[in-house]
Amino acid sequence: MLNRRVARFIGVRSARLVLLLAGVAVGAFLLLEASPLDPVDAYVGAEIARVGPEQRAMIAERWGFDDPAPVKFARWIGNVAQGDLGTSSIFNAPVTEVISTRFRTSLTLLAAAWVLSGIIGFTFGVIAAMRRDRLADKVIRWLAYTFASAPTFWVGLLMLALFAVQLGWAPVCCATPIGVDPATATLGQRLAHLALPAITLSLIGIAPIALHTREQVIDVLASDHVTFARAQGEKGWPLIRHRVLRNAAVPAFTLQFASLSELLGGSILAEQVFNYPGLGRATVEAGLRGDLPLLLGIALFAALFVYIGNLLGDIIATRIDPRISLLDRKVGS
Amino acid sequence: MLFLFVRAVRRPRIIAAIATLTLAVTACTTSSTDEPTAAPESLVLAVGSEPDGGFDPTLGWGEYGSPLFQSTLLRRDSDLELVNDLATGVSVSDDGLIWTVTIRDDVRFHDGEPLTAHDVAFTFSAAAASGGVIDLTDLAEARVVDEVTVELELERPRSTFIHRLATLGIVPAHAHGDDYGRGPVGSGPFVFERWDTGQQVVATRYADYHGDLPEFARIVLLFTDADTTLAAARSGDVHLASVPQTLAGDAIEGMSLIRVTSVDNRGVMFPYRPDTGEVTDDGKPIGNDVTSDLAIRQAINVAVDRSALVEGVLEGFGTPAYGPVDGLPWFEPASIVADGDLDSAAAILEAADWTGQPRSRDGVEARFTLLYPGTDPVRQALALAFRDMVAELGIVVDVDGVGWDIIDERRHTDAVVFGWGSHDPTEMYNLHHSALAGTGSFNAGFFADDQVDTYLDLAMGAASLDEANVWWRAAQLDEDGHGFSAPSLAAWAWLINLDHTYYADECLDLGQPQVEPHGHGWPVTAGILDWRWVC
Amino acid sequence: MTADTTLITTSLDTDRRRTALVQLTVAAIAITLTLVAASVLAPIADITDLSARRQPPSWQHPFGTDRLGRDMLARTVVGLRLSLGIGALAALISAAIALVIGSVAGVVGRWVDAAVSWLVDLFLSLPHLVLLILIAVAVGRGIRGVLIAVALTHWPTLTRVLRAEARRVTASEYVTVARRLGRSETSIATGHLSRHLGPHLMVGTILLFPHAILHEAALSFLGLGLPPHAPAIGILLADAMRELSAGSWWLALLPGLALLLVVKAVDAIGQQIRALTDPWSVHA
Repeated sequence: MLNRRVARFIGVRSARLVLLLAGVAVGAFLLLEASPLDPVDAYVGAEIARVGPEQRAMIAERWGFDDPAPVKFARWIGNVAQGDLGTSSIFNAPVTEVISTRFRTSLTLLAAAWVLSGIIGFTFGVIAAMRRDRLADKVIRWLAYTFASAPTFWVGLLMLALFAVQLGWAPVCCATPIGVDPATATLGQRLAHLALPAITLSLIGIAPIALHTREQVIDVLASDHVTFARAQGEKGWPLIRHRVLRNAAVPAFTLQFASLSELLGGSILAEQVFNYPGLGRATVEAGLRGDLPLLLGIALFAALFVYIGNLLGDIIATRIDPRISLLDRKVGS
Repeated sequence: MLFLFVRAVRRPRIIAAIATLTLAVTACTTSSTDEPTAAPESLVLAVGSEPDGGFDPTLGWGEYGSPLFQSTLLRRDSDLELVNDLATGVSVSDDGLIWTVTIRDDVRFHDGEPLTAHDVAFTFSAAAASGGVIDLTDLAEARVVDEVTVELELERPRSTFIHRLATLGIVPAHAHGDDYGRGPVGSGPFVFERWDTGQQVVATRYADYHGDLPEFARIVLLFTDADTTLAAARSGDVHLASVPQTLAGDAIEGMSLIRVTSVDNRGVMFPYRPDTGEVTDDGKPIGNDVTSDLAIRQAINVAVDRSALVEGVLEGFGTPAYGPVDGLPWFEPASIVADGDLDSAAAILEAADWTGQPRSRDGVEARFTLLYPGTDPVRQALALAFRDMVAELGIVVDVDGVGWDIIDERRHTDAVVFGWGSHDPTEMYNLHHSALAGTGSFNAGFFADDQVDTYLDLAMGAASLDEANVWWRAAQLDEDGHGFSAPSLAAWAWLINLDHTYYADECLDLGQPQVEPHGHGWPVTAGILDWRWVC
Repeated sequence: MTADTTLITTSLDTDRRRTALVQLTVAAIAITLTLVAASVLAPIADITDLSARRQPPSWQHPFGTDRLGRDMLARTVVGLRLSLGIGALAALISAAIALVIGSVAGVVGRWVDAAVSWLVDLFLSLPHLVLLILIAVAVGRGIRGVLIAVALTHWPTLTRVLRAEARRVTASEYVTVARRLGRSETSIATGHLSRHLGPHLMVGTILLFPHAILHEAALSFLGLGLPPHAPAIGILLADAMRELSAGSWWLALLPGLALLLVVKAVDAIGQQIRALTDPWSVHA
């Protein structure tokens, strides 16, 4: 019985994922096909001035730039189905390889920022709720709203100017020290390079988590459940820990997983500011230099990443709070 | 058979003058030789951007020379003279069509395989067929005569073909495939070790190199953006850092600021024909009613204050430019105009009936659009400063920073800030010959002049480089005062030649760097065999 | 809501309304001042002065000058005007798209509704910035490109709200009665829907506005937006980043701070209008 439900769950979710990815694939392909970018220009880049028409024709032929759109799409989607996302023209390497190397670099940054924003946001939210309408609450809310209005890249820029350029406490770029084989970089060196971008990126996520947690905790504190526990003599930290945190943590977790989309988007800006060689920078490079295969690959990957994030959020929510059953939830709408 | 001297490029005085390196800060004192310290294990360089297409010469790597991992048939010494590298001799048939090159028989690739005529023929054929950015479309066939002799047959005579021999790195026929650019095997002074895309390339000294061994056992080439490079130089993380002219002002402890003269230039290309509704074969419009007027072009050339641009945009790290080949053996010094002279410029316009403020003539307003590639801060600054200078003359310039795709569409109707600069005069031919009008970016303005065409053809077909230079100069300005340069037809308004600026560790002696070409690739590494650690 | 609590909240509301009105006024004045300053300073925003390069803030140039001697205060306010303009227009277009799609989904049958939901999911399945980059690459750069990219990526969330509301309205007895009485679909739509969706649409649009501004700035910062010499905040900051180590701190600090204040002002306007109209509590 349960197995059948699990199977159905997996089946439905997989079907939705495939449908979604197909939608993203078609949509992204149509968008990029409509692009005014000349792929030959994109390929030769700054060398454009030196390329004659005969060479242009040869480049177009070599990469199949001149084929009609349906032919290109059929070829691309056929290859995608076999796990081949094509070749990135700016990195001159398979798209899958570019994405996997770049994403591995980004992953540390994403994970660090994700954990940081979760912990800080949740803590702030709880503090604000406990100190409702007092100074701490007001400061936290003001900060949260301000950070929500501040451009991420500007905050990063200021941190870079202050801590890296002026004070020299942190490196100005990259994921590992300049001139050192990334494979041999020590943990300390990696952390030093990670600190500023991770803090910048975490700022995106702190505000929503803090504000959301604050509301949740206030609700829980006002609930019969807590009133009853209080009447039983529970108070202070044990009360918070047993009655409040658990109930506030579930929505926080779900929200935190749902924020993976924002986080991935924000990493594009953070990586750009800190010159961090991850997937975000690759996205910008691909956009600026018209690397269409790479952009398509990144779009598919991002959709997959966000989908998995949401799914994990749902699954983990059921683990923390047994009252929510994922399997009984109506999928869709 | 006419034998071509490889050392044929004579060195005129002007080259000697500009090749003299300016050291802004005195380098390490000689007294330190008392206690010599070993050269660093790895020499860390941040001297240029990452080659997008990898290190495959047949796809365009090293198109300006010094491919580092590969060797070329000829190379340029620090005085830009061509000397043998892999070649032992080069000769050209009387009709200029067959180039015969003999090569050394003792050179091995990094993988131990010998380098033979087969590899040379393979490289030229592959480059011609590759669809990369190396222009070898005039090559008809590359034939192996024997193990050390190769014949390169051209479709038409080209005195400039010799420059290809100095730029195309020879790749091994046995180890060249689609992935070659990511793991090149060559016969150059350094063996490719690793490439961390977007970050760095590591290379080690090739112990069996056929020339003098470089002093440094290992080099690391970093790909950092300008600001990061500067920061790395400040923190002592790099031994040689290329920085933009705009950021080269400050002194850095332990580093010398080195400026290397270059032929890397920037100028404004004018659409040369009036707008008659004409379009190219692929439908792009041609012509501009304002820039097609000789008086407008000449007046702009006279009005622009090139020294102010050098000072204000390049922070002094450059020289005024008057043509595409300033300072090279084929440059015509008479093509220099007196500039920054608004009164004379206004007089030129008045004489041509451009009157009013802004000026107009027969209902045509003196107004045109100037495009620049949006990613380049220096060209942006030039375009904006140019606009404000020309505005004083009563000519309105609308500046637009766009992608190359847009420039590609609009370069026949709008002025464009282009950058060129090559050790090979073919570029001058491509920019001004009517046969290349509308061909790529070459003669984007559709410049056409019969007399100039004749001179350029004579130069290209010349039997010797000296003879070619005579015709190259005549194309700029001949004895009758006719030519494409500013005093005559003013096809372009050339603005500035960049100095390439580097911070070098005080212990690193770069010898005498050569005048550098337009800056793709790593031009400074051309002299790497002469670099010394002097502390 | 019961009658009791309504009474209590009404008395509290007088205070809240006053604060809201004050904040609203201050924010509106700040934005008006920015716009006025922009039209006064616009002519000098683009003028280069090679003899006054990289000057720190002074009375003559309160925000300093950049590498070409252009006045940064002028460039900043002109940039803010551009941001406000693009933000407003993009938010309006987004809102129009959301209104059409949302109400069609809410009123017309199940299949259209499912298709719209799927489309919304599809747009939300990608990180916002990735989608922006894709669209910006597709439509080309420049003001038009940014406008299209920002407008085309902000409608899904509002569409969800409007669709849900439209469905609720059409499902209500009230409309069922109207339908039985033989009123046409169009008249139902124009009648009830406009009354119920109106407040949601207005508040939703104003709340989209700051997002649109920030995304315009981000896109321009990445080099995928406005032309590279345009005085847009994103571009000013990207220029500042390139020369961070040259020590010109004012180039990075001041335009960003100005943008932050304007976004907060716009956000405050949205929040206060919501507080004053409060469409979500109408049926609560």
